[in-house]
Amino acid sequence: MSAPMLSRRLLLTETVSSAAAVGRLSRFAINASAWSPNWLKPAAISLSIPGIMEGLWDSVLRAVPKKKTSHMKKRHRQMAGKALKDVKSLSTCSGCGQVKRSHVLCPHCVETHPVDIFALAVTDKQILSASGTSSLKVHSTTDPDFPLVQSIDGAHKVGCHHVVTNGNGSRAVSIGFGGEIMIWSCHDGVWAKDGGASVNKATPADVWAIALSEDGQYLAGVTQDGHIKVWDLDTNGEEIRDYETKGSFGTCIDLSADGRFIASGHENGSVYIFSTESGRMPFSLSGLVKPVRAVAFSPGGKFLAAAGDSKVIVLYDTSSGEQVASLSGHTAWVMSLSWSPTGEYLLSGSFDGKVKVWSIDTRACVATHSETDKAIWSVKWLAKIGRSVGFATAGANRSISFYREATGG
Amino acid sequence: MAGSHLDGMEAEAFERPTNITTIPQTPVQSYIQETLAAILDELSSPEGQPSITLKQRGKKFASLFINPETLALETSEMQRYTTYRWPGRDENEAWRFSVALRVLAAIAEAVQEGLVVSKRDIYYSDPACFGTQRTVDTLVDDLAHTMGVDRTALYVEAAAKGLVMGYYQIITRSGAVVDVRLSNQDTLVPRTQDVHKIDLADVAWAVYRRLASSSYHLQSAAGKGILITVRPNPPVTFQETYQQLQGKGYPDLNTRAFVRKLLDHSRQLTKRPQFYALVDGDPDGMAIMATYQYGSVAFAHENRNLNVPGLHWLGLRITDVVAGADPLEDNTLIRLTKRDRKKVVAMLSRNPIWAADGPEPEWRVELQRMLMLNVKAETEILYDMEGGLIRWLDRKLSSG
Repeated sequence: MSAPMLSRRLLLTETVSSAAAVGRLSRFAINASAWSPNWLKPAAISLSIPGIMEGLWDSVLRAVPKKKTSHMKKRHRQMAGKALKDVKSLSTCSGCGQVKRSHVLCPHCVETHPVDIFALAVTDKQILSASGTSSLKVHSTTDPDFPLVQSIDGAHKVGCHHVVTNGNGSRAVSIGFGGEIMIWSCHDGVWAKDGGASVNKATPADVWAIALSEDGQYLAGVTQDGHIKVWDLDTNGEEIRDYETKGSFGTCIDLSADGRFIASGHENGSVYIFSTESGRMPFSLSGLVKPVRAVAFSPGGKFLAAAGDSKVIVLYDTSSGEQVASLSGHTAWVMSLSWSPTGEYLLSGSFDGKVKVWSIDTRACVATHSETDKAIWSVKWLAKIGRSVGFATAGANRSISFYREATGG
Repeated sequence: MAGSHLDGMEAEAFERPTNITTIPQTPVQSYIQETLAAILDELSSPEGQPSITLKQRGKKFASLFINPETLALETSEMQRYTTYRWPGRDENEAWRFSVALRVLAAIAEAVQEGLVVSKRDIYYSDPACFGTQRTVDTLVDDLAHTMGVDRTALYVEAAAKGLVMGYYQIITRSGAVVDVRLSNQDTLVPRTQDVHKIDLADVAWAVYRRLASSSYHLQSAAGKGILITVRPNPPVTFQETYQQLQGKGYPDLNTRAFVRKLLDHSRQLTKRPQFYALVDGDPDGMAIMATYQYGSVAFAHENRNLNVPGLHWLGLRITDVVAGADPLEDNTLIRLTKRDRKKVVAMLSRNPIWAADGPEPEWRVELQRMLMLNVKAETEILYDMEGGLIRWLDRKLSSG
């Protein structure tokens, strides 16, 4: 794991490069217009040339860079078999059946959403993504090409901002910008609306972030006015818990793997932990000064990580509530956190497009990825496939990027 | 959403009546005469039931669509007619009838005298009867719609709210030349029916926003331009900052007509000026920009004559602010209010401009990002940035 992570990522849009081009153009344009009065008097320039250079001047202007590959040299290289070769390693995409280059993601499949992807959720075989479009997309993670296996169209008319799954991947819950909560169940890798489960309609429509328990029975949500609610999805979505906090917008929520604790992060910087058994806060956490955007329990439930606009990731000990570490290194808002399945590593994504991997043992950043300069909305570790470990990131660059542990390096 | 604001805001301060030469029998005059005559006939018979029938403007969001040819927000709703009778079924219908009659009478008077009245004048002639200004506004617009004419043909106007400053000359219908090119004072947006021709030579851009610098339209690095802004309601200057914080500034019909006139005139030029919208990064800002480019819901039947296709979105975007103004971030970003969030969701779900398959996916994303981050950005932020708003505008206009 300490080996560097390799990126397997496909640029789907040329926005990055074209934006850079525009930037260059704009700077040029400003210079040109700022200097334009000087163009009116070129006489001053020619006058300053010393007489001895007069004959030379023309050749100076005509000079070309010396390192120019001649046609003959190019041809020699080609004859010697050193030139660019034809791409012959083509294969058929297992997802859509179209021809693609081997060992490279299928461009038709990875083209997931035409707009920002706001959330990712993983099961042992699949990854679900929610975006500003009305559909949810499902990609297989067992296939090295990550083909698109299902598109749940018309799930959320105005777009979806959170999607969560339970531990074994049998149930998923998504919530849209309109406030509607949808429950999905998975049979043989195909998702469909879960007819047997529901969330009580009596609840006000201002739930923002959600989390699902490991067995998929309980759904926890934090509302825009700071309430933390729990619903039992198997008994008609009855609301079984309602914890009140100070009323600050609830931005994120997480359930511990054993289901004993709920953590929520709020816009005023507060972080709360509730015990689901007693319904109380075992201790108050020091919180952050600025809005919290992500909270995550470690797989063993020993730590709680929280991060947000303050750009540092804070680790709390869940048995004492003490702050045990703060990981700093991000230079923009931290938008998403995810623990590796073993709890050794913590993954974070920030608004400037940087993705960092942190070692919990050494409390240090072991890898930084900056494939994009657009905001990362969600990061998620993938389920372990064989011996390889990897993760996925998604955000304002409108594609899902998959990373895996480097092999042979 | 934009429409409901418009309705309320076009009712405006007192407008100085302008003399207009009498014109021969128009559709307006004949309609008024016929309607009033019919009512009188009914009144004179003992069993008579005087009535007024109005063609109502569409109010259903479901019937709105973007016309691919005009690029305007239009409605496919079938014409709905409502008839108010007197004495009618109940008290409410009787009141509706009398209110409609009074408004019609006021219009008849204005048309006959050739004097322009404002909707506010009509309302204040008997506030107790009309109840709210909105009643009058709706009726006037419905009457205009029924007669199939522009509201100005009824000699009823809302006070001008738009202010303009820029490098242009106007030739009025009477032949007078109004040259405001070197002025650095805001002037009211001229009435478009008075404008014969606009000289836009050398104009490179037009921005809908007031700027702090009084002569930016002459000194901009991007060339000479025109600035248009919409006066907050009520037009009290010392409250301006406050009003802008309220996110207002929806353009009235006259301002939109003027902007459209600029666009139409610019089409004849070889070097066309570009049109830009500089709006706050909040739901109202996005709605204002949409009103200019596609039109409002309330005037879906007139949008095809008022929209400004090809409008460029200058800013301000949330991502610019979050990424760019980090050291200042604490005091620059403002949380969305409950109303803001409701408005964004309504815009996303009801208006075809922001629909998933709509014409402006980037606008949709921007609204969704606002919801995700729960922040909005106001243009005032740019004043605090390095070089201020002027530098920022220069950069944006030159690169755009």
